[in-house]
Amino acid sequence: MVMNMNLSWLEPYITVISQIALTVGLWALLKKCGNKGWYALIPGFRWYALSDCVGRESSGTGAMVSELVYLVQNVLALILPAENPVLVLVLLGDLVCQIFMAVYILRIAMGVCQVFNVKRYWSALWLFIPAIMACWFGFNRKKQPIYIDRYNDDGVLAGTRPAQLDEIIASRISEEDAARPGLHIRLRERTAMVQFKKRYLLKDVHLDIPNGSLVLLLGGSGAGKTTLVNAINGYEKADADIYLNGSNIYENYDQMKYRIGFVPQQDLLRMNDSVNGTLNDAALLRLPSDTSRAERRKIIDDVMETLGMAGRTSGLVAKKSGGQKKRISIGMELISDPDLFILDEPDSGLDGVIARELFEKLRRIADNGKIVIAITHTPDRVADLFDKVIVLARDSGRCGRLAFYGSPDEAREFFGRDTMERIVMCVNREEEGGEGRADEFINRYAAMINRKNAGSEETAETVTPEEKPEDTKETEKKPAEKTKTEKGKKQSGKNSSQKNKKKKKKNQKKGGSRS
Amino acid sequence: MSETIRYRGRIAQIRICLGKLLRMFLYQNDWKALPMSAIIAGLVTFAVGNNIFKTQEGTMSGCFSLVCVCIWNGFFNSIQSVCRERAIIKREHRSGMHITSYIAAHMIYQMLMCIAQTGILLGICALAGVQYPEKGLITQWFIVDFAVSMFLITYTADMISLAISCIVKNTTTAMTVMPFLLIFQLIFSGGLIYLEGPAEKLTDLTIAKWGLQDMCALCNINSQPNVTLWNTIWNFREFEMGGIQPVKMFTDDILKNNRLDEFLAKAGEYTQKEAYVSTAENVLTCWGAMIMMALLFAVIAIVSLEFVDQDSR
Repeated sequence: MVMNMNLSWLEPYITVISQIALTVGLWALLKKCGNKGWYALIPGFRWYALSDCVGRESSGTGAMVSELVYLVQNVLALILPAENPVLVLVLLGDLVCQIFMAVYILRIAMGVCQVFNVKRYWSALWLFIPAIMACWFGFNRKKQPIYIDRYNDDGVLAGTRPAQLDEIIASRISEEDAARPGLHIRLRERTAMVQFKKRYLLKDVHLDIPNGSLVLLLGGSGAGKTTLVNAINGYEKADADIYLNGSNIYENYDQMKYRIGFVPQQDLLRMNDSVNGTLNDAALLRLPSDTSRAERRKIIDDVMETLGMAGRTSGLVAKKSGGQKKRISIGMELISDPDLFILDEPDSGLDGVIARELFEKLRRIADNGKIVIAITHTPDRVADLFDKVIVLARDSGRCGRLAFYGSPDEAREFFGRDTMERIVMCVNREEEGGEGRADEFINRYAAMINRKNAGSEETAETVTPEEKPEDTKETEKKPAEKTKTEKGKKQSGKNSSQKNKKKKKKNQKKGGSRS
Repeated sequence: MSETIRYRGRIAQIRICLGKLLRMFLYQNDWKALPMSAIIAGLVTFAVGNNIFKTQEGTMSGCFSLVCVCIWNGFFNSIQSVCRERAIIKREHRSGMHITSYIAAHMIYQMLMCIAQTGILLGICALAGVQYPEKGLITQWFIVDFAVSMFLITYTADMISLAISCIVKNTTTAMTVMPFLLIFQLIFSGGLIYLEGPAEKLTDLTIAKWGLQDMCALCNINSQPNVTLWNTIWNFREFEMGGIQPVKMFTDDILKNNRLDEFLAKAGEYTQKEAYVSTAENVLTCWGAMIMMALLFAVIAIVSLEFVDQDSR
């Protein structure tokens, strides 16, 4: 005989007990992950706090919102009379919220398993017995997080001396310096609100770039290259003073945006539009309204000739090769004859010869008195063309900082590496296959600049051997192994840089005049 | 800055954007929307064209189908038009393009598309032998009033999908949202499915409701005969009661005395709806509601696209 026992009276007790167990378990788990345990007491936010420890912040936000909406709906369900038609909608919303919560909690649980080095399939149990799982991870002494995936909230890098940096390096630009020709960057910080928290994306990037420079912007992923570029061209404003040939970019953005050209990484062109139409529209948008049709046509022809595409502007964009599309994209920005020209990986998807050809054209643009800043991940094939190198690195607090700014030769000497790619590897994180020495070089460069600014004789050109890294002098170790071609290249590079210096002097005399 | 250089303003930029859209019409195969609308119109008129404007049932199902075709055309015209080139818009916006000019150009371009589609739809209806009433409520010609109504339905739907296209970040999301919108429009049109209470209030938010009300008022559906009652009675002709067939006797009597039209007209009187009253005021109210909706969604499109710079990489 089977006895039908009604156990529904147990349900509220089980609910209360499981909620208490979940709170206690999460408290212990949060403490174990280096967060505040009492966050477990706040409905919704407890999931966010956990997600913050395991690098799943967006899922944490989703779980938090879902749980809060779920709670509100439960309260409504208790208040509303059974015959109210709105109750059906509330119950429907309840169901939807539960589905959302399940997905977000599963994602967070997967992060927990990853941080605790547990097989991912354990995360499925969080859906059915979250309280037990929270207690298991929270109180089991054998389970310890192997790493904590959290942002450093203070934005201050351990091991560096940011206070000293702020004291010595002029983070505000003097009126005299701002009026000088060229690009002057005093970027104090660039922050963003990510999941309700202030995150430091970039800090202390101070540069002076003379007119006529072709500048290479180097850095691993997440180092802040695009963030810096967006801050310079005013797309995403930072706490910074940025002057281009005497004009503050942020304060005069409406006019300055026409003097800055930015070529994005992707070919952002309408593929089914005609090349002529694309260029003509770009000219109409970017050139002053009093430009005549004939002048406009001449400017387009000149630009396309500069880029080696004269007479090849007929047909659709889609029918052009990768290199030609890139040149059309560059041409669109070049039409307005910008003083500052920024290119985000202009050589992506191009073979070595075409990429070299493209950078030679950029060199020519810079030689006309413009500042050209280019991001590239394959810099060595064109390294000799650049006047300056900016190296950005992501510090241990996940904040982008300046690790070096100087000539390519100085960069090689500073990092003790003979190629630009190896320089990037120096500052890249270990999990990216790099050497993870970002903090060291940021610190060393800051110290060097501090000394330089303080009037010390130890400048970038005269870094003492004690300051060089132990494994440095890669360039000096095997001079005999260098091939003739490499020497030749270097020689030609030197020659070109000497020529460039002469041109730069000319351009500086010209000031911000447009060619 | 010694002097301020003047660049092209909003009006001049509308011309630039419009030129671009017209080029895309040719090169990006946007013109294919026109034959597609002809095919859909042909299928619908083939299915419902015979009884439209003759009986209440035929007019209702015909008008509903035409409203569906208009909404379908409008939705498909611009559901992907903005989101497919969002990254390009971001670049152009940063280079000085005004979003208001871009959307205004889209509004003009879509207006031309909707006019062309309305013309095609009316042409297909004419080819299918649909007999239009002669007298219009707003103008002297019914066909003009009817064309304006169809254009407004298509254009309002177009503006809704343009707004959706501006809000969403990619074409996949846009195409996922579109069926929900379409179903919402059809269910809450209040024409085929009887709604009451809070659900009825939701109908005011749909183009389908205003479009259907507009068309039914223009066609003067309330004055048309209703055949549902007669058809139901006719099916019961063989029903026997006490050895006689009272229903058969009744129908035979109606037919014998040639009073069928009178019967159908009387049946029509019982199924009249106040919403479909055939007055110029009613039609203008519907037109006004649709114009307001179109403008509202155009504003939503502009406001949402103004944030395009904040798109992450």
